[in-house]
Amino acid sequence: MILVRRRAGGSSTGPARVARTRTHELTTGDRILQWVSGIAATIPLAGLLFITTILVIWAIPAIIYSGFTVFTSDKFFIGNFYNLNFSSVNGVVAPFGANYGALTFIIGTMATSLIALVLAVPISVGGVLMLSEWIPRQLEGPLSTFLELLAGIPSVVFGFWGLTVFGPFLGAHVYPALSHLGVVLPFFKGSWAYNGQGLLTASLVLTLMIIPIIASTTRQLVKRVPVLASEGALALGMTKYEVVRVVTIPYVRTGIIASALLGWGRALGETIAVLLIIGMANNPPVGIYGTTSTLASTIADELDSALSDGTGMALRAMAMLGLILLVMSLITNLTGRLVVRRISSDALPVGRGV
Amino acid sequence: MLSRWAVESKAPRFRHVRGIVFWILCGIALLLIITPALAIVISVLVKAAPALKWSLLTNTTQNVQNPGLQNAILGTLVLSLGVVVVAGPIGILGGIYLAEFAPKRLGGTLRFFSEVLAGVPSIVIGLVAYTALVVALHWGFSVLSAIIALSLLTLPYIVKTTEVSFAQVPRTLREAAIALGLSRITTIRKVLLPPALPGIISGMVIALAISTGETAPLLYTASFSNTNPSAGLFHNPIGYLTYVTYYYVQLPGAQDQALASAAAGVTILLVLLLIFGGRAITARQRKMVARLDV
Amino acid sequence: MNVRRHASIGFAVITGAVLVSACGSTSTVTAPPTSAASSASSSPTAAAVQTGNPTGAQTLSEAGSSLLYPYLQKLAPGITAAFPNITLTPAAGGSGTGQSEALSGTIDLGGSDAYLSAAQVSANAGAMNIPIAVSAQAINYNLPGITNLKLSGSVIAQIYQGTITTWNDPAIAALNTGVTLPSTPIVPVRRSDSSGDTFIFTSFLSATNTTWASGPAFGTTVPWPAVSSELTASGNPAMVDTCHSTPGCIAYIGVSVEGAALVDGLGEAELENASGSYVQPASSTITAAVTAGASKVPANLAASLIYETGAQAYPIVNFEYLIVNPSKITSSDTALAIRTFIEWAISSTGGATADNLSAVGFVPLPTTVIPLVNTAIAQITG
Repeated sequence: MILVRRRAGGSSTGPARVARTRTHELTTGDRILQWVSGIAATIPLAGLLFITTILVIWAIPAIIYSGFTVFTSDKFFIGNFYNLNFSSVNGVVAPFGANYGALTFIIGTMATSLIALVLAVPISVGGVLMLSEWIPRQLEGPLSTFLELLAGIPSVVFGFWGLTVFGPFLGAHVYPALSHLGVVLPFFKGSWAYNGQGLLTASLVLTLMIIPIIASTTRQLVKRVPVLASEGALALGMTKYEVVRVVTIPYVRTGIIASALLGWGRALGETIAVLLIIGMANNPPVGIYGTTSTLASTIADELDSALSDGTGMALRAMAMLGLILLVMSLITNLTGRLVVRRISSDALPVGRGV
Repeated sequence: MLSRWAVESKAPRFRHVRGIVFWILCGIALLLIITPALAIVISVLVKAAPALKWSLLTNTTQNVQNPGLQNAILGTLVLSLGVVVVAGPIGILGGIYLAEFAPKRLGGTLRFFSEVLAGVPSIVIGLVAYTALVVALHWGFSVLSAIIALSLLTLPYIVKTTEVSFAQVPRTLREAAIALGLSRITTIRKVLLPPALPGIISGMVIALAISTGETAPLLYTASFSNTNPSAGLFHNPIGYLTYVTYYYVQLPGAQDQALASAAAGVTILLVLLLIFGGRAITARQRKMVARLDV
Repeated sequence: MNVRRHASIGFAVITGAVLVSACGSTSTVTAPPTSAASSASSSPTAAAVQTGNPTGAQTLSEAGSSLLYPYLQKLAPGITAAFPNITLTPAAGGSGTGQSEALSGTIDLGGSDAYLSAAQVSANAGAMNIPIAVSAQAINYNLPGITNLKLSGSVIAQIYQGTITTWNDPAIAALNTGVTLPSTPIVPVRRSDSSGDTFIFTSFLSATNTTWASGPAFGTTVPWPAVSSELTASGNPAMVDTCHSTPGCIAYIGVSVEGAALVDGLGEAELENASGSYVQPASSTITAAVTAGASKVPANLAASLIYETGAQAYPIVNFEYLIVNPSKITSSDTALAIRTFIEWAISSTGGATADNLSAVGFVPLPTTVIPLVNTAIAQITG
């Protein structure tokens, strides 16, 4: 018996397409619906343009003021409002001593998201393979509930848990053990805060947040591996591990890469959990446990201070940080989506920046 | 590729050992997924349990001796209602357009950009709503700016699930509608919408779950209010649950930590309720669609 | 199809146009403002300030300084008892938040340990900072067994710059002859939020250390030098908590929370003042400082009381301000409530009773300042 797999999603096939081409048969009601729903369908695009336009317009003065130092300087300070002098660069006036170098935040953003990615991909793929190959069908449903659970936990709850439970646990028990490894791997040397706040803790929590994205896509893809190929390999005498290595992984590899990019995009934009856990220091981290800051968390933290700036430049600096973050997320997201579109057009992985 | 394996002769035991090592690692990976998920939910609920009392529902955060969550819960409900009212119709109509009317290339473009919008970080949406609405248009911290920010955030999900729901309606129903000569709008209303409705609702439920759990876009649009929501779309800060957790977890006092735990517990319960409710609806839809498929 | 594409482009263009034109209305300060410290026009007789119970129920929302917060919590029941239609709802959040939210009109009163900057005043015409009490700030440390540690502002500045890293550093030992200091590394703790405590702390460091004055200088946020062990805390209570959990820490904590700090086992440092003596914050030393600085208070009430001369003067003393922006007040009833509250708060029979003040370690406003405060209050009209 040959199983025909019905392709889910993809709305431009079958009778619907045939129906659409019969435009000369539209009634007035149809046309009204077509126009109204058409406008509604362009709103996401309009929203995207709106977001980009606002950010660019507001960021321009800060960009003119900072020039390339945005990417080269790690000094970010919205200025001394109490000094009666102002700092004027390239015709833009900012408070005295204002510097808008975003290097610290770019380093923090990249470091946390990359560590999270490097950890999340093997864990997700390994866990999904375990789930699909060894776990009996009856248990698979309930166990996959945990994936959805992880996906649905709001960001602030991750931050709450990281600050009150996970961080102190790491700081008291795990990091002391890890730092003994520092004799062999200097990477693990360093001092940490008593409540675990710092780069590594934030990265570990981020890992948990992006696992659902990678795992859910991987799970869908693993289900679609042609039964003939994997059963045929078993028939030839391969072990389950070899089947996975030879048949499954090559088939799902592109999808994993795509979902990894999507997960990376989410990690880049993660705000509240990171804000509570990373320690919010204005300098690059000293060692793997050190405190630092990311683009997203800095915007959330400093926006209210930005309001006290009489010149208004602090707000523009925030818009500039937002623009950098937007560009980074768009690049990873676009690349990921372009690859995913060729594989599956099922529902987006749940677990947005909640 | 397969023939290579047939020819290669590795010692069977070595192959099995490699397999065992691999699957042990995979088992650890699965544990690393399950354990934190359980740990988070359990530890948050355990911390919240002692703080969960009825006064949470009757007192506001302003109450000094016995702070509660009334203003925060009501605020979250108001904002969720706003998302349903604003993003709901736009998203559903947009999904209908993409599923039923859009020519292939335009539909593809619009769909693509909708998915790109889904990838914009929530803090960026909040920042834009703040600069454009709160500051430039002088709306101040306002309910409307918060609702717009949340709607931008959740719109792609509603559009996507609506479109997918319509596309999954069985071909036989469409063919019957064409055979009967029904107009497009009648087809959508009478024939396609009923089977697609559960899917659309589950999309709305996802949107509600997201907006219940969000903090970053609301920080500078809704700001926060220690009193119950009042009428007025502009110059009207409003409270919401996630802020209570975010703000009070950073204060060291025992009462503040208890309030943060309670808010975290209520938030996670609400989100779980929404997610599992949504799943139940989708499961019903699958059964219904399967029955319709002749 | 083309129409639709044009429609969406048109949408974007129109949106952009609306926004750009809206943006044009936000003002940016393009020139240094004229000094806001107004010179003349200080009428010696204050205009009679209209106060009384408002006709309808008025809730005055307040937020900001975590140093002022405990004092306002004490005042809140009293104002409602004296004027039943006035309710005060205080909150913390940091002086920076208090300033910006009061200036934008989101709240009625902003609590701030720092006066408004000249740029803020020129961007918000008519905005005022009105002092209601005098407070101080202590320097606490976590060294069990060591009491009455002597420190100078210059040494503390070097700690927060990272040049002094252990407690038994020669610079600290030189100030504390006869005391055996441990070799524990120093963990400086600073505020992460936009804070008035940071303002007065950094003002003190700027007054005593020239490197600090020309570097980070003072403000509600400053570019803190990168010190690898430095920790951050949000709000005064969190400063106490963090320092309590970290051996070897040093932190700047407002006197209103000092009771909790001492109960937690933190030591209170004796600071070197401008006259060379070592003093701790107490009502006598705080009063000595404010008496020395009272004559210099200008009409706009933006005055620093840091590092005053006087044998008994404590060096980190400040006015506690309520920030009011009259242009954002929408009703005369609200203005009446604000005037009534502030007048009541500074009166020794109203809010500024000995009990209320001593409970938080504050002292009352000097009598020479009261007329200036009355003049300012009279300008709050709806």
